[in-house]
Amino acid sequence: MRIACVFVPQLALQAVLRRTPEARGGPVAVLEVAGAGDGAGKARAKRVARVTELSPEARRAGVRAGMTGAQAAAVSAGLRLLTVTAADREAAAAALADVGYAFAPRIERGADDRIFFDSEDLARLYPAGETAIAQAVQAAAARVGLGVRVAIAASKGVARLATRAHELALIPTAAGPARAALASIPVELLAEGDPALAGAFRRWGLRTAGDVAALPIDAVGLRLGPAGAQAGRLARGIDDEPFVPRLPDDALEEAIELDYPVAELEPFAFVLRGLVDRALTRLRERSLACAGLTVRLALDPRGVDVRTVPIAAPTGDAATLLQLARLDLARRPPAAPIVGVRLLALPARVRATQLDILRPAGPAPDRLAATIARLAALVGPDNVGAPAVEETWREEAVAVTTYEPSRPDDRGPLSLTLSPLRGARANGGGDPQLTIRRWRPPEEIEMLLNRQGPAAFRGRETTARVLIAAGPYRLSGEWWKEGEHFQRAYWDVHASDGAVYRVHQNERDGRWYLDGYYD
Amino acid sequence: MSSRPALDPALLSHLISARRLEDRRGRRGSGIAALDRLLGGGWPRAALCELIGRRSSGRTAILYAALARAIAAGEAAALVDVGGGLDPRRAFAAGIALRRLLWIRCAADVAAKAADLVLGAGGFDLIALDLGDARPRLPAAGWIRFKHGAEKQGTTVLVAAPARAAGSCAAAVVELGPGAPRFVADGAALFDGLQAEATKGRGVHEHGPESEEARCASLAFSCRS
Repeated sequence: MRIACVFVPQLALQAVLRRTPEARGGPVAVLEVAGAGDGAGKARAKRVARVTELSPEARRAGVRAGMTGAQAAAVSAGLRLLTVTAADREAAAAALADVGYAFAPRIERGADDRIFFDSEDLARLYPAGETAIAQAVQAAAARVGLGVRVAIAASKGVARLATRAHELALIPTAAGPARAALASIPVELLAEGDPALAGAFRRWGLRTAGDVAALPIDAVGLRLGPAGAQAGRLARGIDDEPFVPRLPDDALEEAIELDYPVAELEPFAFVLRGLVDRALTRLRERSLACAGLTVRLALDPRGVDVRTVPIAAPTGDAATLLQLARLDLARRPPAAPIVGVRLLALPARVRATQLDILRPAGPAPDRLAATIARLAALVGPDNVGAPAVEETWREEAVAVTTYEPSRPDDRGPLSLTLSPLRGARANGGGDPQLTIRRWRPPEEIEMLLNRQGPAAFRGRETTARVLIAAGPYRLSGEWWKEGEHFQRAYWDVHASDGAVYRVHQNERDGRWYLDGYYD
Repeated sequence: MSSRPALDPALLSHLISARRLEDRRGRRGSGIAALDRLLGGGWPRAALCELIGRRSSGRTAILYAALARAIAAGEAAALVDVGGGLDPRRAFAAGIALRRLLWIRCAADVAAKAADLVLGAGGFDLIALDLGDARPRLPAAGWIRFKHGAEKQGTTVLVAAPARAAGSCAAAVVELGPGAPRFVADGAALFDGLQAEATKGRGVHEHGPESEEARCASLAFSCRS
C-alpha cells in the first residue's frame, strides 16, 4: 500500500489567508493568545496575544514568533496582524479533507492540518507516476486556497516525516532506499514535538536522520525510551502505525468478499444486487437518494478495478442503479475474475421545487430524476436529455444537454448558427414548418448524374429516380481544423418514391450522401 | 357603490369560462389551425392518438407543431425519436424550446419501453413517439397499456408511424396522404414546401356519421423559415 500524506504548514496562517485573500503576498502575522480558554486564573501577562505564525514577507521584515502585536508592528510598519478563529481552522480543515476526498473515497484525518489517503488506486488514473499524483494534489489544494506539502510513502509515519522536510517527496517502499531518502532530514524534524529527544540527539552528536538510523534501535530505546526507539525506526523507514481511513460523513459503503472468484456478469450482478439494496435501504432511512456510485472490485489474484458509474440524476431505484452498473461492467469488463466488491454510494437530497400557480405542475423532480436514470440505462446516457444546437455549420450536428422542464421560456440557446432559422413561427399562425428527418451519419449512396444534376440514386434501403432536383447549395467550413474541413454541394431532390430527400456531394472526394428527407 | 375591480391582465389571460372548461380539458391544440378544425379542437387529452404518414407527408412537422404548442403552454413534453432523426435547427424554427423538450433517441425495439417509462413518470402532458420508418411491432396488450397509462396520467400519447397499429386503442387517428411537393421555378428550381391531404380516421371518440368533407383537410407545409 502507498499512503499519501498531505500537510498544510502554518494552518492558522493559511486559514486566515483563505478568509482574507487580499492579504496574500504581503507581511502577515497571526496573533493568538497563549493559554486562551484556560480560565481566568491565569496571570494577565500570559494572556497577551503573541505572534504564532507569520508569512515569509513578515519574517524578512524582522518579525519573529513570540512577539506581541505592538512589538511586531514596531518592527514592520506594513505588517497585517490577524487573529484566527475556530471557524477559520475548521473551514480550512474541511477544505483539506475535500481535497483528499477528491482523490480517494476514504481518507484519514490525522489532525486539522494533515490528511492521509491510499494513493495506490490512483496509479491507473495518473500513469505518469506518483509525482503527477502529488502535483495534482497540490494543484487541487491550491484551488481551495491551501498551499500543501505532499509525501507518498509505504506507511503513515514515514510519509508524515517526509512532509516535515520536503514540499514534495516520494519515499520508496523498500526499507533500504527509504532509509536513504530520509537520511538528510535534520533530527529536529525527526523528533518534532519532543524537544528533549531532539536535544539528546544533539548531545550525542547526531545531526540527521541518517545518523540516528546508523545506531542500533535497541540501544537507542534503552537510553531514550519508546520515543527514541520510534524515532530510530522511523529514520530507517520502518513504521507500523495503522492506517484508519474514513468515508465522508454521509457516504455509505457496502462490501462483500466472495468465497470464490466470479468471472461471469450474471452471477456477479446477483452479488451486486444485494449490495445496492443494502445501500439504498440505508439511504432511504435517511430520506436520501443515491447520486453517485463507485464500485471497487478486488481482482484475482491481485489488483483492483475502480469504476464510477455515471448516474444522470439522484435516484433510489435499485433496478436502475443495478442496470447502470451492469451496463458499465458490460462495456468495460474487469480484466480478471472478481473476488471482492466494495460499493460506495454517494447520497443526495432530491430537489424540491416551487410549483407555479399558472402553469401545469409537470413531472415530480424525484420521479423525473429516476426516470431519466432508467432511460439512460435503457438507451445510453448520451441519448437522453434536451436537444441542443452545436456551434458548427455541419447540418447533421446535434448535441444533447440537460433537460430543464422548468427553464424560462427562452426557446433555446442563442447561437450564431441558429440565426438563419430564428424567429419563425411561435405558436400557430402561418404554415407549419417542414423539418428534415436526418440519418446520422449521412448514408453513402450511389448517384447517377445527368447534365442537370442528380438523375437517380441507390442507397441501402432507398432506390429511386430523381424527378426534380433543386440545387446545388454549396456549404463549406472548418477548414481551420486539421482533417475536419468539409466542402459540400447540397441538393433537394423529389424522388420517384414520392419523398423529397436532402442529399449532398462531398466535393473533396466526389462521394454522395443521403442526409434525410423533408417531412 | 364601488365599481368592480379590474383583474390583472396577466391573470385574466389564464382564466377561461366555465362553459369552455370541458373543451379545454378534452382537447389540446395541435398548433395547426386546419388540423384543429379537422379534429374538432385538437388532439384529445389523456388519450392515445395516431398520426399515420409516409416519408415527406408532413407527419414530423405536425408532431413538432404539437410539441411546440404544448411546451409554449408550459406543459411538459417528451419526444421518443426512433433513429434520432431530429434536426435541432428545424425543431427550433418550428417553435420548440429545445431545453424544455425531453428527447430520447433510441432504436425501434426499445422505443415503446422508453415511452412507457416516460408515461409512468407522470406529469408529462404530451409524449410523442416518432417511429420514423419503423413499422410498429407492439402486441395489442402494449397498446392497451399505453391507452390506460395515458388516461391515468392525463397524457396525450401521439404515435407517428408509417402504418396504423394501435387499432381501437387510438382515440384519434389522422392519416396523411402522399405529400405533393412545391418547387418554385424561378430560374433554378427551389424547394418551397409541400401540400398533403389529412384524413381523420375512425377513433374510439368518434362515433356519429360525418360527411366526407368534414373528415378531410388540406394541409400546407412551408420549407422557408
